[in-house]
Amino acid sequence: MTTTPETMDFKNFQIAMPYTLTAGHAVGSFLAELAHQRIIGARCAKCDTVRVPAQDFCGDCGGESNEFVVVPPTGTLTAWTVTDQGIIGLIALDGTSVPLLHQVITATPSDLQVGMRVKATWAAEPVGAMMDLAGFVSAPDAPVAQVEPAVDLSSPIEQLDYRMELDYEHAYGHFYGTLFDGIKNSRRIRGVRCPSCRNVLLPPRPMCEACYVPTGDWIDLPDTGIVQACSVVHIEFVGQRIPPPYVYAEIVLEGSSTRLIHTVGGLSAEEARSGAVRPGTRVKAVWSDRRTGGLSDIDYFEVVADHE
Amino acid sequence: MTSIAIVGTGQTVHARRRVDVSQAGLAREAAIEALNDANLTMDDIDAVVVASGPAMFGSVNQPEKWLVDALGARYKPVVRVTSGGGTGLAGALQAINQIKAGLARRVLVVAYDKLSEGALQASISTLYDPFWGREFAVGIMGFSAAYWRARMDRLGHTEEAAAMVAVKNRKNAMLNPKAHVKKEVTVEEVLASKPLCWPIKVLDVPPISDGACAVILAAEGDAETITNTPAWIRGMAYYAEADNGPNRSMLQSEPLKTAAARVYRNAGVTNPRRQFDVAELQEPYTCFELSYYEGLGLCAEGEAAELIASGATQMTGDIPVNPSGGCMGANPIGATALIRLAEAAMQVTGKAGAHQIKGAELALVQAGGGWANLRGVAVVGSSKD
Repeated sequence: MTTTPETMDFKNFQIAMPYTLTAGHAVGSFLAELAHQRIIGARCAKCDTVRVPAQDFCGDCGGESNEFVVVPPTGTLTAWTVTDQGIIGLIALDGTSVPLLHQVITATPSDLQVGMRVKATWAAEPVGAMMDLAGFVSAPDAPVAQVEPAVDLSSPIEQLDYRMELDYEHAYGHFYGTLFDGIKNSRRIRGVRCPSCRNVLLPPRPMCEACYVPTGDWIDLPDTGIVQACSVVHIEFVGQRIPPPYVYAEIVLEGSSTRLIHTVGGLSAEEARSGAVRPGTRVKAVWSDRRTGGLSDIDYFEVVADHE
Repeated sequence: MTSIAIVGTGQTVHARRRVDVSQAGLAREAAIEALNDANLTMDDIDAVVVASGPAMFGSVNQPEKWLVDALGARYKPVVRVTSGGGTGLAGALQAINQIKAGLARRVLVVAYDKLSEGALQASISTLYDPFWGREFAVGIMGFSAAYWRARMDRLGHTEEAAAMVAVKNRKNAMLNPKAHVKKEVTVEEVLASKPLCWPIKVLDVPPISDGACAVILAAEGDAETITNTPAWIRGMAYYAEADNGPNRSMLQSEPLKTAAARVYRNAGVTNPRRQFDVAELQEPYTCFELSYYEGLGLCAEGEAAELIASGATQMTGDIPVNPSGGCMGANPIGATALIRLAEAAMQVTGKAGAHQIKGAELALVQAGGGWANLRGVAVVGSSKD
């Protein structure tokens, strides 16, 4: 048994999403002021704790943290760990109540001690993000300073672009493995029959969810079926595989009792709207030259005559 | 069995994009309004349920951890519930179960989504099996449009009938101070609007919103000490159906029928059209409202188009549906279902302001998650039974 993606054991998938995140007033002000090498915190009006980065609310008492302060760029290292991407430390900045998690920039971990004094170091080119504060370096002689009222604050940064890319390696398992191996190598589509209700289930699965009994025999299904429902896609969206317009369809292959989600091709959006494909239309798979072991090995389904 | 009531509700000012608050700040805004409405503070709250849509919507996993600070909920039980569009109602059900079990007396449910931050249809497509359906999924829209098309043939749910839902709900939203889409449309405009997934067109679709809603639930005995106008939960249920089970026609939602039957039995509802004074139904697209008329027994199967055309579901009709404007006024998905519940509570306590249905005493709530397989129903009344 191997886990390389070339086998039918696993298949690689990626989810990639763009985001526009909203920092909120306090964090937005903190980020904006990093460009001026000022660290902005917030004091809770109710319990007097000082948090950095500034927050709109106080995690201690739930009050509003609406008094912004300038936090000194100096503090004390209270904990640290070494990772393959550098040293991460908890830094109690002078005058604050909650330590800041950030990067510690130093020659070797052996220089580090809990309780050592550190000071901020800044990125050469600020971009309006957390790493404008590049990290903290050892500063044995840095005196303990006080927070000061924040005056002349820049407008907060309202939004930040962010991108998430997540890689997955999904296991086919026995049932999907058998199905997609058949699709890839011999263009066979195979479901399983429930011994109780006699329905053929596609994709194949270990249990029939209607009867809740283990499924039985493998059944070869034809690549023809009936459109149960269809719509005409005009919308464009992130991650779309096919340029619109195209027909989205839920198809029940002949002899099966479950839905397969695919597309119907070979006709225009206007033809689809005027009824060239509709619930009840008979369709047949048009196979691709690709052999990836997925549903996209079928390019699309095409409309065929009822008794073809 | 102990009766449970809504004793406070709050909603943010919903918007297409709220650049002034973070996700946590948005949730806090609704929670504070609900606490103020109930004249309570967080010290009076025993437990918190956070309800929000798929983490993929906002890129923050376990957002309830973040919300503990924003809500001032440290050292309280805080759990998150998520169930797509039905999330808010699923969260309220969890709160009710905590109170019924004796684990808490007063529970704050806060539901939110900040949909301006992510890629909506692509995020929703990750609800599908990666091997079976995801590569051709068009969020919930491709699916919904396809089954609306099927309902046209079988049940007569025409494009005109769905357009009437858009006209009605957008008109009602004009009266709702929390709605952010305030523009009346005509049937002709809806029909002529740009197709997204035909038969779904732009004006059949609600806005994408940033927004939050909060509701405080308390047990009988306690509820009456908090407010003179508790909104009593007369029944609530949430059911699921196997997504790709055999022989599902999808013409009607089976879990919706199951949930409605159970809740109606609990609440003594035998003639929903006659007994309910008002309904708040979560309509992700106009076609859903038509299908829910039938699934909830407001009319017989195949009569939804006739019901909307009759005007019975308008503000002035005998069974007004979505006086708030429904999702058409604002649709922060994770909060949407809780907004329906809060609006129902406002109706039966006479607090709905300009969109109040005069004298409303019994309200119907429906919400759903997933695409067709998770459906919830609730009944809210001005009296305990």
